[in-house]
Amino acid sequence: MRYALKEIAFEKKKYILIELLLILLMFMVLFLSGLASGLGRAVTSAIETMDADSFVVDESAEKMITVSKVETGLLDELRAKGVEAAPLDIHRMHIRKQDDDEKLNITYFAIEAGSFIEPEVIEGKGLSHSDGEATILLDDDFRVEGISVGDKVVDAAAGTEFTVAGFVKDRMYGHTSVGYITTDSYTKLRQALSPMYVPEYHAIAVKGDKDLGLDPDILESVSKKEIIKNIPSYTAENMTITMIVWVLVIISAVIIGIFNYIMTLQKRRQFGVMKAIGLSGGELAGMLICEVCIVSVFAGIVSLGLTFGMAAAMPEKMPFYLEVSNAVTVTAAFVVISVLSSLLSVINISRIDPIIAIGGGDNE
Amino acid sequence: MSKVLLELKDICKAYQDGSEKRLILENISLSVEAGEFAAVVGPSGSGKSTLLSVAGLLLTPDSGSILIAGKDVTSASKRERTGIRRRQIGFVFQNHNLLPFLKTEDQLSFVQDRGVKDKSKIDELLRELGIESCRSSYPAKMSGGERQRTAIARAFINDPDIILADEPTASLDAERGRAVAEMIKAEVKKRNKAAIMVTHDTRILDLTDKVYRIEDRRLVAEQ
Repeated sequence: MRYALKEIAFEKKKYILIELLLILLMFMVLFLSGLASGLGRAVTSAIETMDADSFVVDESAEKMITVSKVETGLLDELRAKGVEAAPLDIHRMHIRKQDDDEKLNITYFAIEAGSFIEPEVIEGKGLSHSDGEATILLDDDFRVEGISVGDKVVDAAAGTEFTVAGFVKDRMYGHTSVGYITTDSYTKLRQALSPMYVPEYHAIAVKGDKDLGLDPDILESVSKKEIIKNIPSYTAENMTITMIVWVLVIISAVIIGIFNYIMTLQKRRQFGVMKAIGLSGGELAGMLICEVCIVSVFAGIVSLGLTFGMAAAMPEKMPFYLEVSNAVTVTAAFVVISVLSSLLSVINISRIDPIIAIGGGDNE
Repeated sequence: MSKVLLELKDICKAYQDGSEKRLILENISLSVEAGEFAAVVGPSGSGKSTLLSVAGLLLTPDSGSILIAGKDVTSASKRERTGIRRRQIGFVFQNHNLLPFLKTEDQLSFVQDRGVKDKSKIDELLRELGIESCRSSYPAKMSGGERQRTAIARAFINDPDIILADEPTASLDAERGRAVAEMIKAEVKKRNKAAIMVTHDTRILDLTDKVYRIEDRRLVAEQ
């Protein structure tokens, strides 16, 4: 360790350049992985942050809430069994501001006011504080559109008016921002569009793992994780982006490996001399791996700092979301892969014959 | 009679040269006692370096045996050889071969046996070789003579039994070369080591106790 540091200190210029390159690579990887999970969150965050453990959907829906149909009577049945249950409808529509023609994408989450799946507001009041008026809680992305608490928004198709009761944070579904309305408002809205509409739920959110006693031919209980996986396009998108991130991690680490290899090639004679005067292969490998660790851990820390600093300075609408644990995993993987790729150099060192130390300077 | 620290018995070594084998050393026997400074001379390509490499356990002879401090090390494993080179053999190379990124005192502590971080030993050697002023200098900032003296100090740091010097004066002018050879001699005498110096330089042979010449693959004692 001591001598590895001395070598790095002596070859300052060389190592600063390598360090710079590494930091840029790492930063790119972390930043992309932040954007990747930001994009992923844009599809799932409304479900992910929901305080439910599983969802009851109909068996033929293939675990997709939006195409499922559950009879309203089931809610009371479940509640009678002492299950914590809450109804949920998810419906993608458009809204507009009261005096504006511009349509805004929205996904309605119709819930029971005051149920455990109602999100906490960051501004304004919850759904249960309406005085008979149709109210809506909006994702805070709508603030950017100039909407504030107390404003009225109109459903673009049905013409139903909602008063904005409050804002919630970080609630997205399928790349659209979510608006929470009550199940009653939702029924009225649907009836305004088609008078034949019979009230029903898309799904029932359940908390806890009580046995629900569902008829397996008709209904199934699906965990939150499974539901998220089955949101259309989520898995495919997520896999693609995750792939890109990991490929970048590996490529960057291999670049370090190659740099390292070139540097050991340049130092063949030095290693030969060290072997000749009796330093064991283990000691030399230890020194090399130590150098790689120092360089990559340092680059990791700096780029983590850069990424989180950058994230703090980014505009709200940017889909950037990086969990510390996730970032640390990526960084740790980076360090581990760089060490692994430097094993190539270790093999190279182990093959150097110490006899090159004997004789003149130039014979290799 | 002093103790024999290095003994080579009937060493043969051949190189594969294309399709035929070329014999370089033929039945060479040599023993060096504690406190003895021996020189090996001969034209280039005569096998001086090969002989030194065999004695330094860098090359395995085709036949014959090597004894260091009375112990047969001919068939030591690669790992054992590395350990022996570190503890029992001190090398002085033609081109100092110091590590460019270490200051003089680190050059010594780097090869000092693990666990034996004895600073006084470093101080003592630096003082005896007159390079105390270079204690905190990198090799690039030192003169050729200072570098070679640092290399000598490094060779002695682990208190080895034998010292092997490969043309230690080749990169220096006559005056400095002689000074360096004198220092090797002084250390060998003081510390009672067995030393072999391979050299071209006939002007420093008067400093050695014995001179051997390699001629036609065989070692011949002069005088």
